[in-house]
Amino acid sequence: MKRKRVFIKLLMVLIPWLLAGLSAVAQNKMYSGTVTEKNGTSIPGVAVVVKGQNIGTVTDVDGKFSLSVPAGAKTLVFSFVGLTSQEITLGTNTTLSVAMEANVVGVEEVVVVGFGTQKKVNLTGAVASVKIDDKITSRSLTNVSSGLSGLVPGLSVSQNSGMAGKNAVSLLIRGMGTVNNANPLVVVDGMPDVDINRVNMNDVESISILKDATSAAVYGSRAANGVILITTKSGKGMQKTSINVTSSYAVEVPTKSYEFMADYPRAITLEQRLAAVNSLRANSTFKDGTVDQWMALGMIDPLRYPNTDWWNVLTRNGSVQNHNISASGGNEKSNFFISVGIMDEKGLQINNDYQRYNARFNYDYKLRPNMNVGVKFDGNWSKYTYALADGFTDDDPTNTAGFDLQYAIAGMLPYDPATGYYGGVMAYNEDPQAYNPYTQYVNNLNYQNRQEANTSMYWDWTPIKGLTGRVDYALSYFNQFRYTAAIPNRSYNFQTNAFGSRTYVGDNAGVSNFTNTGYKTQLNGRLTYNKTFSQNHNLTALFVYSEEFWYDRFQNGGRNDRYSPTLHELDAALAGVTQTSGGNSTSEGLQSYIGRVNYSAYDKYLFEANFRYDGSSKFLPGSQFGFFPSVALGWRFTEENFVKTATNKWLSSGKLRASYGSLGNNSGVSRSEQLETLTAGHYMIDGAIAKGLVNNKMVNPNLSWEETKVLNIGLDLGFLKGRLTTELDYYDRLTSGMNRPSDMSILLTGAYNAPRKNIGNLRNRGIEGNLTWRDEVGQFTYGLNLNASYNSTILESWNEYLGKGATTSNKFVFINMPFNYVYSFEDIGIAQTWQDVYNATPQGASPGDVLRKDLNGDGKIDDNDKKAYPNIQRDRPTTNFAMSGNVAWKGFDLSILFQGATGRKDFWINNYNNVNFGVQRYASTWDHWDQPWNLENRVGAWPRLNGSNNRVETSFWLDDLSYLRLKNIQLGYNLPKKWLRIVGLESLRIYGSAENLATFTKFRGLDPEKTGNASDAYPLNKSFSLGINLGF
Amino acid sequence: MKKLNSNRLVFSALAVLTLIISSCTKDLLDRTPTGEMSATEFWKTEGDATVALMGAYSAVRPLFDRDYYFDGQGEYVRARGTSTTKDNLRLGDAYNGGNYNPSGYGSSFDKMYRYLYGGVSRTNYVIENVKKMLPDAKTPASVANLEAIIGEARLLRGMVYFRLISMWGDVPYFSKVIYDNAEVADLARIPIAQVKDSIMADFTYAFDKLPVKALQNGRASKPAALAFRGKLQLFWACWNKNGWPELDTFTPNAAEGDAAYVAAAADFKAVIQNYGLTLFRNGDPGSWGTMGNAETLPNYFYLFMPIANGDPEMIMAFTHGGTGTSQGEELMRDFSGRTHEGSQCWVFPYYEIADRYQSTVTGDFATKMVPTLPTATGARTKANSTLNPESYANRDYRMKSSIMWDYEMSIGLTSLKSTGFTPFIYKTWNQAVTINGVNYTSYNTDASVYGYVFRKFLRNYAGLGRSEGDYSYPVMRLADVYLMYAEATNAITGPQADAIDLLNKIRRRGNLPALKPEKTADKTTFFAAIEQERIVELLGEGQRSFDLRRWRAIERVWNPPYGAGVWRIDTHGANRDRYFQNSSELAYQQCYIFRIPPGERDRNPNLTQNKPWL
Repeated sequence: MKRKRVFIKLLMVLIPWLLAGLSAVAQNKMYSGTVTEKNGTSIPGVAVVVKGQNIGTVTDVDGKFSLSVPAGAKTLVFSFVGLTSQEITLGTNTTLSVAMEANVVGVEEVVVVGFGTQKKVNLTGAVASVKIDDKITSRSLTNVSSGLSGLVPGLSVSQNSGMAGKNAVSLLIRGMGTVNNANPLVVVDGMPDVDINRVNMNDVESISILKDATSAAVYGSRAANGVILITTKSGKGMQKTSINVTSSYAVEVPTKSYEFMADYPRAITLEQRLAAVNSLRANSTFKDGTVDQWMALGMIDPLRYPNTDWWNVLTRNGSVQNHNISASGGNEKSNFFISVGIMDEKGLQINNDYQRYNARFNYDYKLRPNMNVGVKFDGNWSKYTYALADGFTDDDPTNTAGFDLQYAIAGMLPYDPATGYYGGVMAYNEDPQAYNPYTQYVNNLNYQNRQEANTSMYWDWTPIKGLTGRVDYALSYFNQFRYTAAIPNRSYNFQTNAFGSRTYVGDNAGVSNFTNTGYKTQLNGRLTYNKTFSQNHNLTALFVYSEEFWYDRFQNGGRNDRYSPTLHELDAALAGVTQTSGGNSTSEGLQSYIGRVNYSAYDKYLFEANFRYDGSSKFLPGSQFGFFPSVALGWRFTEENFVKTATNKWLSSGKLRASYGSLGNNSGVSRSEQLETLTAGHYMIDGAIAKGLVNNKMVNPNLSWEETKVLNIGLDLGFLKGRLTTELDYYDRLTSGMNRPSDMSILLTGAYNAPRKNIGNLRNRGIEGNLTWRDEVGQFTYGLNLNASYNSTILESWNEYLGKGATTSNKFVFINMPFNYVYSFEDIGIAQTWQDVYNATPQGASPGDVLRKDLNGDGKIDDNDKKAYPNIQRDRPTTNFAMSGNVAWKGFDLSILFQGATGRKDFWINNYNNVNFGVQRYASTWDHWDQPWNLENRVGAWPRLNGSNNRVETSFWLDDLSYLRLKNIQLGYNLPKKWLRIVGLESLRIYGSAENLATFTKFRGLDPEKTGNASDAYPLNKSFSLGINLGF
Repeated sequence: MKKLNSNRLVFSALAVLTLIISSCTKDLLDRTPTGEMSATEFWKTEGDATVALMGAYSAVRPLFDRDYYFDGQGEYVRARGTSTTKDNLRLGDAYNGGNYNPSGYGSSFDKMYRYLYGGVSRTNYVIENVKKMLPDAKTPASVANLEAIIGEARLLRGMVYFRLISMWGDVPYFSKVIYDNAEVADLARIPIAQVKDSIMADFTYAFDKLPVKALQNGRASKPAALAFRGKLQLFWACWNKNGWPELDTFTPNAAEGDAAYVAAAADFKAVIQNYGLTLFRNGDPGSWGTMGNAETLPNYFYLFMPIANGDPEMIMAFTHGGTGTSQGEELMRDFSGRTHEGSQCWVFPYYEIADRYQSTVTGDFATKMVPTLPTATGARTKANSTLNPESYANRDYRMKSSIMWDYEMSIGLTSLKSTGFTPFIYKTWNQAVTINGVNYTSYNTDASVYGYVFRKFLRNYAGLGRSEGDYSYPVMRLADVYLMYAEATNAITGPQADAIDLLNKIRRRGNLPALKPEKTADKTTFFAAIEQERIVELLGEGQRSFDLRRWRAIERVWNPPYGAGVWRIDTHGANRDRYFQNSSELAYQQCYIFRIPPGERDRNPNLTQNKPWL
């Protein structure tokens, strides 16, 4: 209630000011001039700013500018990316001619950090920043996270599905920091917890990745896994209003997909061959007659004897369209940025569509010379249509309907337009539960739409020089609604002209609605004090008080028996006993005190100290607060005269950085987990539900924050006048007190959920390197970037019992091993002869089976023969690397991005390469026909069908998931301004771009970047796009 | 002057910040649960005791209400799998992962062990907290109510420990609410005799405090406590008389066994005589109907339909709810095929059960049937052919009620609607069939590989999904008490008139004549008659494998170690499965006693293992 009142008060104060508009003008003087390069070419787009104030403009196409400068101003600053900034002292001459020099280091480059910005040269932490430019926005990307792939060392981006709307991208900074949620914190314009994948790439100005303790410390409580700071555009420093239109269209095809065999007689033959291993031919489920009949009649009667190419039926060429229009501008008093965009994605799978609409409005206004206000509004809306959670499949264990492509047999007709019937099983003895995915993807869809609004406003005031107070208030709101209203249909047997027994959707098909809504508020009060004393000493102090509050609710309802298949609201179905409903809500509060001190002396010695003190409602009183301090030191040694004289020739800049500190994490704990509550456990009495409650909680009151201590040592060097820059970082992150459900006796686990305890320590150590070369030769400019990172994850302690082969959440855990390490039998290949079988330790094998090694030599094969791999992880690579290059000549630009990873191995065992498939209803692939070992195919790459122990996790199936991928290649052309001016345009770029063009890997499965489950079949996409960017 | 002004501004800025800080924090870090009952608000009223008791029922019910899977460990029912949902206790997680074959199952019940102890915790929670309420109870009615609630919880706890000892022998025992893992982390196993005494105490307390008739269907009553006490003593008697060599800490004592038989018989007798309990529909057989028709079915069929919910024969049953209650049973899903709401037919009869059904004419076993291939001449008409419906005529009415053979009908069900009758024809799944000029679509399942499916537990009316059954699953039936009484008395003194009479009452339900004198001539023949009735009467109710173990009859049924084992065949004569072929003694021993969960032994060094599992 109080919270609300404060918000309303703020609104009442702010609104009149916002409406006041752009009227007030002070006593000003006009300056104008031209900005050129050394060779005299005029430079458009140079920022001209009055030093120390938010007043400025940019040069026009001819490099000309004019700016109204307030009376007291003394200096103008000219800056442009890639050029050395210049400061011109203002005199009486109001016409200026400025020549700028190229400098690739970007000394004045400013980087967004938590609660402010910092000069890049003064950074002491490990911060990587990405400027979002044409090269990135021109790629046919459906979300921001995939755009970060390969750009920043230490940030690993893996795409897990190509499904439209799924955005299954996992982001990880410097390895997996905890076995709980290890995702980085995403902060958009100061608001944490915004969904990065709903941000419009075209609105983003820059992205900062905060990797170490000191840079992330101001977000300390939840920054243990790093922070991604996204800053959206504003019209700051512009005078001329500019309008930009971008538009692109991409076609998507799979990078790789399974080759299902559209040949039913062969599939049945495989079934027979499989069955022949263990049963008499007479007992085989499928008869020879069925094969012969289908072979013969399949050629003339595709209705009754179909050989369906399901992949063909179920997929299409995908497409991605991106259209965006934005306008920005500003003057001394105010600036704005406004943008609307639409992203329309049609997935590879039929009826898998996703549309996202974005609108943004950013506005700042100077109320007084020492007082600013601003608002930001971001609204987005998405529409998402899909059949199953993973697209083609559904990994839900409670879904026993067999919605899995492995059950999509070729001998089934998807749909007969003449009768309107969907095909079912027809062959003699085929399993009636075999599955027609077409009907699932047409008649049984989920429709989900979601709206989000992220709004924020601030008011700052500098009552005395150097001291700024600022209040921020932000409100995010979301509403998500999903419904299902399946269309009744049954399987049809076209041979017998009768319905089969499988009812895909019953005649009493109902409707289900699911609503999730929630909001988050954040109130920050901030004081900043900045003072330069004795000329060379600069001190900045920051104090922030912050409150965050989350509230989410969920509600669902369902009814059976819709009046008509075309309806999908609850009222359109019968009320009565077949109704279902549910709902709940959760809330969370976080209270934080944040402080930071920056001190620099002579621009050489840098010092920073931070702390954050957080209280979370997820923990019980006494354990709610965590304190996370950090310190950092920096030394720009090239500023020392004794260094300068020695290295001046080749070393243009050098900085040594070191930081140490701690960060917190509470994401493993759910909101109500620590509350002492009873759970429903009802019973039936007299035909009605009798209320029952059980106690299944054993709360550990001492549970508190996970803490991650990070040591970071970095070295930044610039060579050859900044043409070559390198950044090297070493880090050591120790996460201690990971909170996990504690080990509990099974005398209790049948009744109680094991209470969480702060259990284990996990250490991540790694190095990162970033190497950039930029230069120009005449009109030819080019750049090259190489970045790589290596990370090793080791579980250092676990103060609970860990047995051999112990797992937690199905991941292998053991001390001094990576989390989910590889634990595997060693194989000695496929037995070719009985002699091979007898030479090996007895293990029930026959020729054609994979033989396992008796590692401990005890004469039997059991779990004791498994080997653990200490440096390999199953879920993610240890090493990520990327290489990007770009060249520009006149109006042409070409860029290329390679990205790769190594250090990950996993078993290639899934539902689609199963050599021991069921005796019925299996959708064989061509590999099943070609690869299994048999007497005629002794070189077969797979073991024999239906052998023994061939699906066991052995090194036979252990694949190296290293890969190198041509992630993006892009060619653009900027039309000459001279031509454009004729039609009134400012700029026009046309381009073509291709994603995931080629992948080099030894992995035999779908894609080495993915971490899919055994049934996953949705490939990653390869796309080709064309686009246009227009400015006027 | 200027400086002063600035200071004032700074001061006011700070003041604003402080104001915000102090005004918003109040309950920011103190969130209250919105969807769940706060524990501190509970245990305030007498009604809370009932609510807690219902919670205990909801936790104990799923430890018993899928016992039919256990019949897969006997020789007449195949359980090829289960419909259980992993990690969902209500949907059978206790049974999940269990091996329900005749052999090799002893190591697969870690989950059952875990959830049984879950039941112990749930009941302890009620017992301990309600006890605390007793001193404050105002009226005698209040005291009686609270004591009855404790009695119900103690009965449930007794049932749970009874199951634990009958599977694992010596087990850890605790009877209070546990607040920390450390309290149980190093518990050792308690000798079975001692655990048995504690269970006896629970049952006796329950017997003393429970009402004569359950307050509501699904809750416990005096006769239930008595019947379970009798059953416990019967098992105790068996272990002492027949021995339990796999439990090497246990020394059988024949005298104690005899005493237990006597005590058991006394309890059973009390159940039979003192409470006016009768068999369902007075034990009348009802009508057989006609061959290949299911319009009319014998009474025994209806005993396993919700119509029998709350019938006096159901001494103790666990209730279930239909659509929308999230408390349905999945009997149909387990016992029938795709034709019935997409059911999965996890459980079906072995062919060999058919010959167990006796002739209503002779009252004895009929001529053995001849498995016949449908392609054989006269397969459907030859005398005694398994495919000739007439071979099934004039048999025990419980046959028609329990299983279906070729051309037997049941009601097909789809989307909660009837699709009309569907004939079962082995290996002719989901085909168009014309019978007497009427078109049908045949029963669909490819799960049954012996030629029969169950009719028992299969609903013949529409309206409920395959997971929405509302049948009250019996864990103690009067018929079982009759048979246990007969067994107990026979063990001490041989066939008794009242026991024979009770058997005949049960046989009457199958429309069988009374037992011939030669069947009751001595202990051995009468025991065989009792076993025969247990097989037929309790088919698919999870009793058989417990019977085989306590009688030490596994070798008798499946042949001795290192022998040929036994084949199970189908109605077409094909060999389908062979069990215990060339099995070692150890394989048998591992059936007689279950494995203490090894993961728990890793944690707790005091926890010993049963001998066959070392």
